[in-house]
Amino acid sequence: MKNLNILLIEDDMIEVMKLSRAKKSLQLEHNIIEANNGEEALQILEDKSNLPDIILLDLNMPKINGIEFLKILKADDQLRYIPTIVLTTSSNQRDLLECYKIGIAGYVLKPLKYEDYVSKIEKLLSYWSVNELISV
Amino acid sequence: MSQKDVEILKRALERERASRKAAEKILEEKSAELFEVNKQLEATNAELTVLYNKTSSQLQGVFENIVDAYVIMDLWGNILKMNEAAVTLLGFENIHDEGNLTALVDPTEVEKVEPAFKQLFESGSITDFKIKIRTKQNKAKLVHINASIVYEDGKPVAAQGIVRDITLESEYQRAIETEREKYRRIIANMNLGLVEVNNDDVIQMVNQSFVEMSGYDEDELIGNKGGELLIADKSSDVIKQENQKRLEGQSNSYELVVKNKTGDIRYWLISGAPNYDLKGNVIGSIGIHLDITEFKNLQFQKEKLLEKLERSNEELQEYAHIVSHDLKSPLRSIDALVQWIKEDNKGEFDDATTQNFELIETTLEKMEQLISDVLEYSSITADLKDRSSIDLNALVEDLKQILFVPEHISINILNKLPTIEGDKTKLQQLFQNLISNAIKFNDKENGLIEIDVEEQKSYYQFSIKDNGVGIEKKHHEKIFKIFHALNKSKESTGIGLSIVKKIVDLYKGEIWLSSTPNEGTTFFFTIKK
Repeated sequence: MKNLNILLIEDDMIEVMKLSRAKKSLQLEHNIIEANNGEEALQILEDKSNLPDIILLDLNMPKINGIEFLKILKADDQLRYIPTIVLTTSSNQRDLLECYKIGIAGYVLKPLKYEDYVSKIEKLLSYWSVNELISV
Repeated sequence: MSQKDVEILKRALERERASRKAAEKILEEKSAELFEVNKQLEATNAELTVLYNKTSSQLQGVFENIVDAYVIMDLWGNILKMNEAAVTLLGFENIHDEGNLTALVDPTEVEKVEPAFKQLFESGSITDFKIKIRTKQNKAKLVHINASIVYEDGKPVAAQGIVRDITLESEYQRAIETEREKYRRIIANMNLGLVEVNNDDVIQMVNQSFVEMSGYDEDELIGNKGGELLIADKSSDVIKQENQKRLEGQSNSYELVVKNKTGDIRYWLISGAPNYDLKGNVIGSIGIHLDITEFKNLQFQKEKLLEKLERSNEELQEYAHIVSHDLKSPLRSIDALVQWIKEDNKGEFDDATTQNFELIETTLEKMEQLISDVLEYSSITADLKDRSSIDLNALVEDLKQILFVPEHISINILNKLPTIEGDKTKLQQLFQNLISNAIKFNDKENGLIEIDVEEQKSYYQFSIKDNGVGIEKKHHEKIFKIFHALNKSKESTGIGLSIVKKIVDLYKGEIWLSSTPNEGTTFFFTIKK
């Protein structure tokens, strides 16, 4: 299993903490880059020499929301190839449809219970760490 | 007596004898002549008699067989002779009845009699004389008379006439007049604009309402093309198309946007029909115009409102999702924080604290369930767009897989469930909530849930029967109201049955229950076909 460069786009501090803590308790060595919103994420993505392997994206964010960010990402010739997994509370069918229409690599609902969250994150990260990824 | 005397007497006698002889001869000759003449006369007379009889019988035939009533009267109006038709017309019993024609005149028209007689005597005839009469049976009739005087030796002795019953004819005439007047009044006074155009759309006739509707004077309209004058969208060829339909003999209604003289845009509903001449050729069309501008405006308003309503419904839906998200996020965070505290302080808490932490977790779960249910409840809208054929047997079988059904509970479908038109998600929610309630509130060793259906004329009546705890009568009404959970347990938020009620309402059905505490409950609901 290789270690991934993960860009986490999330405005909720505790959610950020949850991912770090889950990674730690699962004893994974992935590198997590944090962005508090879409704009910040786009700035980070300007450095083409150090692009993330995958993006974990929250939908409900201030400024540029998740879907807007996704559109910008998919319109970019280079960034469009980064697998983006939506990590959200919204089970709104319309959001789901919109995301898949624009192009996502997964849609994971944040569960209430922390232990369920850890279990989901474990599966998600282990899946992507066995995947072959391309860098343009 | 002397010889001389004798001689004289002799000669005189001789002369007398001679002249008597001559006279006898003349007489004889005359007599023969007379006989000859008499013979000739007799022959002529016979001829004349034949001729007279012939003519007379001919006349008699005409007289008897004529369809019209034929009457001969004396100069005072007394009937001398009449035919069967006259008997019928005048109400007599047979042709030998006696009567006076003037006595038959309707009392209101007596003054017409004298001038008519006067004219008859003076000019020898009268034609087209119309008069109301009362027949022998006192029936009012209008008759038409042509009469002429009969002369004998140049002296008027009688009059003959043909009498025709024109009562019906005049009634028809009057009926037609009345009808015509009726329609004329309707056309003049109706609130509908009436226009007659020829095949080139040139206006031939308009009524007052159309004048008012269009804002143009009658003079400005007649002789002009209606379409060119009034139609708002000059590029439109509606009029042309419609006129084509008239030529093909079709009638129909269509809407038209027009601009009246003052430049206002109005909406007209036009019913057009072809106009024919007496030979059946289409000579144009007749259009009835109804101003539906107000109605149209209301319709536009309604459409706008509906659009707005749809938008605000959508917004509300979005809002519900966002609120639910925003409410759930802190719960998730609290749960994570609680877990971390527990992890970081493993073995350091006493039992009471550990139990309290568990209570926090349960409360969080309940809170989350509540938020989910409220979202679900608010998501049930009247939007029945996603309708498709749903096989309820398959739906219930699916639910059996999805729901957690404990070993001791069996779910049976008694009669084959129908396939109905509906929204799958909503129907699933409906059955799921009722079945899961039946499972949840079952306290028996062998739990039994029976699902059944009865087909009625216009709806299906479903029932879901359990042998569970039952519901007391006093609660039957309020259990369908939101947040009225009877059992404040971990699993129930009090929204499930209100969701069920809302869905049944959407399908124009009803829901009720019968229950005996400790024995079980049956929920009945109907869904319109």
